[in-house]
Amino acid sequence: MKQSYAITISVLALFMLFFSVMSASAQVKVVTTLPDLASITKYVGGDQVDVFSIAKGYQNPHFVDPKPSYIVKLSRADMFVTVGLDLELGWAPQLLQSSRNGKIQKGNPGYVDVSEEIALLQVPTTTSREEGDIHIYGNPHYWLDPVRGKQIAQNIYRHLVQINPKNQAEYTKNLKAFDDKIDQKLVAWQQKMSPYQNTEVIAYHNEWVYFEQRFGLKIVDFLEPKPGIPPSPSQLVKIINEVKSRNIKILINSPYFSSSSPEVVARNTGIQIVPLATMTGGYDGIKDYFDLFDYNINKLVQALGNNQSTN
Amino acid sequence: MKTQYVLSLLLLYVILFVGWQPAQAQDSTATDSVSIEDIRRQMEESQSKEQPKSPVPVQQPQSVRATSANLNPDISAITDFRSLYTSRGDRNWDAYLQGVELNLSAAIDPYARADIYPVFEGEKGQLDAKIEEAYLQSLSFPYGLQLKVGRFRQSFGRINTVHRHALPVIDVPVAYEAFLGEALTDQGASLSWLLPNQAFYQELIVSVTRGPDENPLFATSDGNVPLKLVHLKNFWSLTDNATLELGLSGAMGSNEVQKTSKLGGIDLTYIWKPVRFNTYKSFKWQSEFFFSNTEIALDNNINAWGMYSWMQYQLSRRWFVTGMYSYTEDPNIRNIEEQGISATFGWYATEFQKLEFGPKLSTDNGFSDTTFSGLFRWIFVIGTHGAHKY
Repeated sequence: MKQSYAITISVLALFMLFFSVMSASAQVKVVTTLPDLASITKYVGGDQVDVFSIAKGYQNPHFVDPKPSYIVKLSRADMFVTVGLDLELGWAPQLLQSSRNGKIQKGNPGYVDVSEEIALLQVPTTTSREEGDIHIYGNPHYWLDPVRGKQIAQNIYRHLVQINPKNQAEYTKNLKAFDDKIDQKLVAWQQKMSPYQNTEVIAYHNEWVYFEQRFGLKIVDFLEPKPGIPPSPSQLVKIINEVKSRNIKILINSPYFSSSSPEVVARNTGIQIVPLATMTGGYDGIKDYFDLFDYNINKLVQALGNNQSTN
Repeated sequence: MKTQYVLSLLLLYVILFVGWQPAQAQDSTATDSVSIEDIRRQMEESQSKEQPKSPVPVQQPQSVRATSANLNPDISAITDFRSLYTSRGDRNWDAYLQGVELNLSAAIDPYARADIYPVFEGEKGQLDAKIEEAYLQSLSFPYGLQLKVGRFRQSFGRINTVHRHALPVIDVPVAYEAFLGEALTDQGASLSWLLPNQAFYQELIVSVTRGPDENPLFATSDGNVPLKLVHLKNFWSLTDNATLELGLSGAMGSNEVQKTSKLGGIDLTYIWKPVRFNTYKSFKWQSEFFFSNTEIALDNNINAWGMYSWMQYQLSRRWFVTGMYSYTEDPNIRNIEEQGISATFGWYATEFQKLEFGPKLSTDNGFSDTTFSGLFRWIFVIGTHGAHKY
C-alpha cells in the first residue's frame, strides 16, 4: 500500500516537473488588461517579451468577463500590467487571485500598475455611488493621452528591468525610440487638430478627458446622465436642446456602446456621430498604440472638416 | 400532470430560443433605456426651459496617494428583500427581509488573502446571525496549487459556490435543495490544482472537511469520518463569444444515521456573450444532475437522482429573463418526487441593484399537490463587492 502511494506521488512530481520545464522560455511573459498596455509593452520589450492582452480593443474595459481561460495565461506570466485606479475592479482582481502566481501579485516586480506617477484628472472630492460609476482615484482613461503614454512606457520599462536586468540596454534603447516616436507624432497630431481648438462636442461616456485636453476639444456633455448609467429620455432631451442651442456638430461614440441613443440625437439635430476607438484594436487597421491616435485624429479631422466646409 | 409540465417546459424553451439570435447581434441597437415617444413628449415640454451648462469641471492633475484607509478590508452589505404570493396555506401573501450578507475581504499578507461573510438570515424575516463563510486562500503556492482553509461553500457543481443573491432565479432549484440543502458549506481544507493542460482550462479541487451541521445527505460524524469531496472543472473557449464548461463532482461522508452517503454530480454550462456588446446581449444555459446513494441501515440503501436546467436570455442592457425546470427524487425517502418550473424576469438597474419577479409552479408528494407562487425580490448592494465567478 505504502509502495503504491510512493509511486503515485513520484509520478505526480515528475508530471509537474515536466510541465514546469516545458513552460520555461527565454522571453518575459506579459499579460496586460488592455491592448494599449500590450502594445506599449511590445514597444519597450521588443523581441524579449511575449505579450497577451485580456480585453479586446472593441470591448468595454469596465465589463470584461473573467473567463477561467485567462487564469491559465496569468498562471504562467512573469508580469501583469494593469491600468489601475479601479478601472478593472470588476474582473482583474478575481483573475489575479485565482492565478496562483506569486510573481504577479501586488507588491512584487511582476505587478505593474501603470498609473504610478500619472497626473490624474477628475479626482472626485466626494465619493458616492449617487454620482454613478465614479472612480474614486480619478478618471482612469489616461492612456488616451500619448504624453501620459510615455509615463506608462516608463513604468513598464522600470519593471521589465527589475525582472530581466540582462536586457536593460535593449529596453532602454526601445524606450527612447518609443518616446521619440511619440514626440514626433504628437507634433503632427496636434498640427492636424490645431484648426479645431475648443470645438464643442458631445460624447457617450466620460472617457475622453485626457484626449480632450491634449488635443484641444471641448466635451460639453455626455449621453450618459452619470457615468455607467444608460441614457434616459430626459437626458437625451437635454442633449438635443444643448446641441441645437450651441450648434454642436460632433457626437463621439465608442465601439462598445449601442448606437440607438446617438441615433436619436442625430435624427433630432443632424449632429454627426463619429465612432472613435478607445483602445488599440477598436476598429480594423488599429494595430498598435500609434494607430489608435492616427485613426482617431484622422476621423475627427475628417468630420470637423466636413462640417466646417458645409457651414 | 407530467405531460403538462413537459409541454410547459418545451414552450418556455422555445420562447427563449426564438428570442435568441446571436448571429444577428452585430449591433444591439434599440437597447438603451430610450423611448422615442418619451423623448418627443419631453422635448415639447422643455422648449421654453433654459439650456443646461457643461457638467464637467476641469481639474488640475493629481496623483494617487496611499492612505491608511487603503489597508482597510473591502466591505459590502447585500440586502435581499422579498415578497410572495402562494396558493398553499392560510396566509397567501407575505413580505419579508430574506437576509443581509456582509463581506469583508482583503489581502492578509503577500502570501494569502481572506474573505469573511457574516450573514443575517432566516425564515420569513426572523433573522439569525451566522458566519456563512470565513476562509483564507493562498496566493502563491507552487505548481498551480491553491489552498483554502476555514469555513467555505464546497466546490460541488456550479451553483453551490454562488451566493443566492447572485443567482438569476429567486428560488433555488428543487433538486439542489433536495441534495445540498441551503448550501453544502463545511469547515476544513481544500486544495485546488490548475492542471498544466495546454489545450483547455482544467482545475481539480480536493477537499477534506469535518462534515456539515445541516445537510440533507451529510452530517458530522460521531467518529473520525470526514467529508471528502472532489471536483474536476473543464472549461473551453469555443469562440471569443462562446464558452462551455463541464464539471464532475463527487462527495462521500457520514450521514445522520452514521452510515455512508455518496453524492455525484455533473454540471454543464454554455455561455454566449458577444465581446463587443456584452453589456447588452447574452445567453446562458446551465444544467446540473445529481445522483446519490444513501445508506440508511445495513444493506438498505436509497438511490436517488435529480436535475435542473435553466436558460437565461438578456433582452437588453437591463432586462433578463430566465426559465427553469427542476425535478428531483428525495434522497432520504423512497418514492417521493418533486418538480418545479419557473420564469424569472430581472431588471438590473446597475451592478448594485436588481429587481426580479416571476411565477413558479411546483408539485410534490408524488406530484399530487400543486402550488402556484408569485415571487418578487429586490437585491441591493452597498460598499465594495468583488466580481462573481464566470
